[in-house]
Amino acid sequence: MRLLLVEDERTLRQQLALGLKRAGYAVDEADNGQEALFLGDTENYDAVILDLGLPGMDGLSVLKRWRTNRRVMPVLILTARDGWHEKVEGIDAGADDYLAKPFQMEELLARIRALIRRSQGLASPLLECRGIVLDTRDSKVTVDGWPVVLTSHEFMVLDYLMHRPGVIVSRTELTEHIYAQDFDRDSNTIEVFVARLRKKLPPDAIKTVRGLGYQLVVEPCP
Amino acid sequence: MKLRRIRESIRWRLALAMACAMCAALFLTGWALQRLFHEHVTQQFAQALEIHLDQVTAGLETDENGSPRIDPEQLEQLNDPLWQEPYSGLYWQVDRIKSADASAGQTAKHAQTGILRSRSLWDATLILPQDALADGRTHQHVITGPNQQTLMTLERAVHTDESDENQWRLIVAADMASVEQALAGFSGLLALSLGILFVLLMLAAILQIHVGLAPLRRLRAALRQIRRGKAHQLSGRYPQEVQPLVDDFNQVLSRNAEIVSRSRTQAGNLAHAIKTPLAVLQQAGELALQTPETQELAQLLLEQVDIAGRQVNWHLAHSRAAAAGVPGHATPLAPVLASLIQTMKMVYAERNIEMDWEAPAPPVVFAGETQDLQEMLGNLLDNACKWARGRIVIETACHATELTIDIGDDGPGMLPEVVNSALLRGVRLDESTPGSGLGLSIVTELATLYRGRLEFSSSPSLGGLQVRLILPAVPGEQEMDSGDSADDRS
Repeated sequence: MRLLLVEDERTLRQQLALGLKRAGYAVDEADNGQEALFLGDTENYDAVILDLGLPGMDGLSVLKRWRTNRRVMPVLILTARDGWHEKVEGIDAGADDYLAKPFQMEELLARIRALIRRSQGLASPLLECRGIVLDTRDSKVTVDGWPVVLTSHEFMVLDYLMHRPGVIVSRTELTEHIYAQDFDRDSNTIEVFVARLRKKLPPDAIKTVRGLGYQLVVEPCP
Repeated sequence: MKLRRIRESIRWRLALAMACAMCAALFLTGWALQRLFHEHVTQQFAQALEIHLDQVTAGLETDENGSPRIDPEQLEQLNDPLWQEPYSGLYWQVDRIKSADASAGQTAKHAQTGILRSRSLWDATLILPQDALADGRTHQHVITGPNQQTLMTLERAVHTDESDENQWRLIVAADMASVEQALAGFSGLLALSLGILFVLLMLAAILQIHVGLAPLRRLRAALRQIRRGKAHQLSGRYPQEVQPLVDDFNQVLSRNAEIVSRSRTQAGNLAHAIKTPLAVLQQAGELALQTPETQELAQLLLEQVDIAGRQVNWHLAHSRAAAAGVPGHATPLAPVLASLIQTMKMVYAERNIEMDWEAPAPPVVFAGETQDLQEMLGNLLDNACKWARGRIVIETACHATELTIDIGDDGPGMLPEVVNSALLRGVRLDESTPGSGLGLSIVTELATLYRGRLEFSSSPSLGGLQVRLILPAVPGEQEMDSGDSADDRS
């Protein structure tokens, strides 16, 4: 999953980026309003963490512009101003959740997970498909009750697919959501991750749709 | 109550003063006119009598015996029928006065009343007080004559010959009833016209008061606009007597608003300035917690960050609340509640809490600021969401100048002693539920500033806690007007 982190305070941004990367997210960073607006408009993120007090253009305006431009990714607002009128203002501008500073990393991660899940219309934090169970809360995967150990990239691929069961996901899309913007992307590596994943999962769980991409098969083929 | 009303109302005071002044002026005028007319009429009456007296005097003679008689030719002139008609009210009479002999001192003995009398006197005589009359001078008396008539008499002493022997007193008298009648008629007319004048002047005075007090009525209407939250300032131009007051009041209002907005901005800036570094410390602490060597220090750091964060929140919330209660604001309840419910649904999306609320048919309007209302309702709803198992019911109502908001949940409810401690500063209701415990105390504080209150009970439909927030409402148009006329009556 790929996130956009918008925070102008350098230390906090670095700390959050580190925490998010450790939790298995690809993170793009922005430290001002214009850059955030541009990135949010042009890249596809699974969620955005947006600080409200930004230089250049304040967070609420950035958010409103995204929503006017029909950018629908979930946005979590991060701010020091936590009066209820500010929270309401944020939600009215199109935010999906709200977190007041200071906060615990755990809390932020939990909210991001929930946001991403809800944006795919999934209610439970447990994602299940053909015996594969992915617990978004602790990033653990089991197959038929047996724990499976995955590398972080393998997990990211599976996580992305499990959030979209039955949907054909192109290699480019996967690349986009697994690597941060400044990362040297190579779509061939995706094939490697998928191949490794297939060894650890039920054999026909991930189907290659020729010329289109990969698909997590919901029902076993007859 | 009546006296108080007169004392407290400019309109009544002016009207009363005007009425008093006009009464006094008109009474004096009436009295003077009455006097003048009385004198005039009496004088005319006396002049007429004098003519009669002259006629009688001209006709007086004495015969050989020294007895007086009226010259028949002159009697022709006295042929007014009134002289003939008994008790007609017009009389003449001749008395004999014995001149004051040096030897005598027996004047009274020889004096003889009513030697000659007009026919109209019939068998009555006019009795006049004895007085010494200089020759040719006339005296006026008012006496009671026959038939209890009030008569004005004119007397004159005359000699018919050179000797002092025969001195006569000639009297003419006329009934003053006609004078009285004229006076009464005049008085009636005078009273009537002065009465009409009073009414007209009073009407003019009331009109003047009405026109004069018009700016005050406008001022009152402008104040009502502020009270209803439709205006922030007193608008319009007023007479120079009132304008300084209006200007001062406006200045106070705008200064208040300025202070509020400045303190809000500062609170916000302070929050930003302090909380971002706190967030950095929090992250650093959490990171350091993972290394065994720095664990202890990290623990301390996180504790202190938590305390600092809560302290900042508490003071910020209270400094925001301290600026509440500025007049001239009105906030419709429905949109605020709707967006707060939307916010709660977003923030507590994981909990899937059902929130029941129907916007009241006549819109309920809070007499205060939007931000304050959001703060109060936000905290209460947040609290309800934390505790609810799955359902929250919100009911709003408005009674004249008071609105109530009931927020009930299906949570475990609260014991009275817990409720009380929940209101205390910084006390968490339950350590396992995130929250600073700040919410309820801030709500209480804000509600108190608006002269509202917070009541706790058990939700009748859901069984959990029910919080009732009571706040001042902006009354609807009708209620406002009836409220004003109630002011007038008191």
